[in-house]
Amino acid sequence: MGSQKRIAKELAELVDSPPEGIKVELANEADLYDWKVYLNGPESSPFHNGTFLVKLKFPNEYPFKPPAVNFATKIYHPNVTNDDKGSMCLGMLRPDEWKPSSRVVAVLQFARQLLAEPMPDDAVEGRIAEQYKNDRARYEEVARDWTRRYANEKA
Amino acid sequence: MENGDRMFCHHCGGVWLRRFEDDLQCQHCNSEFTEIIEIPPDTEEPPRHATPPLASPRRERTFPPVNAFSSHNPWAHEDEDEYDTHGFSSSPGFAHRAYRSPDGRFSFSSTTFNGSGGLSGGGGFGGPPRSSGYGTDEFGDPLMPMVRRLDTIFHGLADTYRQQGQGQVLGRESSRQTEATPARPQHNDFPDPEERAPGEPDDFGPPRLFPRNADGPQPMAPPLGTLGDILELFQQDFGQGGQRSGGGSGVRVMTGPNPLAMISSLLNFDRHGDAVYSQEELDRVISQLVGQNAGSNGPPPASHNSIQNLPKKPVDQEMLGNDGKAECSICMDPVELGTEVTVLPCKHWFHYNCIEMWLTQHNTCPHCRRSIDAPAHRENPVTVDSPEASRRSSSAIPGQSGRRWSSAYDSGGRRASSGQGQGQGQGQGQGQGQPGGGGLAEWLRSHFGGS
Repeated sequence: MGSQKRIAKELAELVDSPPEGIKVELANEADLYDWKVYLNGPESSPFHNGTFLVKLKFPNEYPFKPPAVNFATKIYHPNVTNDDKGSMCLGMLRPDEWKPSSRVVAVLQFARQLLAEPMPDDAVEGRIAEQYKNDRARYEEVARDWTRRYANEKA
Repeated sequence: MENGDRMFCHHCGGVWLRRFEDDLQCQHCNSEFTEIIEIPPDTEEPPRHATPPLASPRRERTFPPVNAFSSHNPWAHEDEDEYDTHGFSSSPGFAHRAYRSPDGRFSFSSTTFNGSGGLSGGGGFGGPPRSSGYGTDEFGDPLMPMVRRLDTIFHGLADTYRQQGQGQVLGRESSRQTEATPARPQHNDFPDPEERAPGEPDDFGPPRLFPRNADGPQPMAPPLGTLGDILELFQQDFGQGGQRSGGGSGVRVMTGPNPLAMISSLLNFDRHGDAVYSQEELDRVISQLVGQNAGSNGPPPASHNSIQNLPKKPVDQEMLGNDGKAECSICMDPVELGTEVTVLPCKHWFHYNCIEMWLTQHNTCPHCRRSIDAPAHRENPVTVDSPEASRRSSSAIPGQSGRRWSSAYDSGGRRASSGQGQGQGQGQGQGQGQPGGGGLAEWLRSHFGGS
């Protein structure tokens, strides 16, 4: 089917020339629709030195429906739900915002950019957003702590 | 009796009376996000077309729980003192709250019963009841069976609409049928009013939320027209001669929201159509609009015909662009010179098979989101890339207009591929506006603007 071809193409591009801080692999060699993405925390963010596993699942209708993006690594961030789903609030991934011409690489770059610049006004974790706005130092402290605890591959 | 302002805290939702020496901070949570609320008086007679039994409580004490606020008119102008002597402080059994939007254009009021019986509405409206003490009188109220019955009619009607789809106006005949047989098998959650003992508590179940298309027309106007009719029926049911001023045409609900508002408060309706009369309801509608986007998929599918009618043309040098390469942004396969592609009104082009799959789900360009169904003449002034592009096209592709292009599409044989053509703000706006005036603001305007 058409989606397979396009996904393979996008995967090949991402593997051949990975964007900064983003590493992509298949969760399972036999399944093109299930990706594992490793995002390195941007240097300017409290997530620096953390590696965040993000699961990317493509629907069969891809590219007509958006891929699902979930953080498998716990992260202290206003735009990522603090539950076992780790859902990320990305406008471009909403079904009515999604365009088939959006590429995975753009999604991933956007996701990584969101680590550096949270969007507290579109938060899914209101409490963290509050803190981000009102007490940035404390927010960064907790985020760094969580990064050390949960996103440190080497430990 | 009391002076001072009635205060509402936007933070915790608390309501209190401020004495002069107090500052404006919320008494409950100390938030400063508070507002002096103005609630209209109940001195004014209910508008002409209000249901007669709902007259002023001070004159007809026989119906205290129903009438105590029935003359409350959130749209009227206030008289603080009058309100104070009669507002929630002197009317046990319910509490009400009013909210006025910052620009003063809309007012919402909610009423909470705290009677233990049928009309309990506390859950829906939040905020603790001001005082307690009722709970039995309602059952003796002669109005109650009627009120319940009206509610059943409304619910039955609402369902009928949902089944028949938007845009169909029910005639009076079917309205009466709805009244006569409200308990249809598939909707037996609306019990037949005849089977319901008066005074038996109602259980309407959780509020029903069904998908709302923010772009699409809301099923407001047709239901309201008929709701007016139903109101009339209801009045006949009362056996009290119904509306004096209704004439033959029934209650004109849109011209004066008060009767509906009052009945809505009385019954604690969840909602019908898009009419909401409390802030909670408005909030619910808004969050529904926001939340459902996760589930619904935006624009409706394009019709088979409009997909078939899209012009096709072989890719020419210009469409390939300066670097001589282009790809279909759906399948991301490179497109060779001469490949036949399908061109949308916005000039973006795709493989026919690719775009067909998208258009059978949404009638918009996957690139710029412009509707493909927009009438051609309205697209004339928009969407040309740049002056350069149109110059180029008018001189460089003489043969083009002879093909299946309609002339309106002819102004820029554009190279449409990924990354290009995002600069179509105008066209995009128009496309989104097409299906029926998108956006909450529009929606608000169309439903509240007239009242």
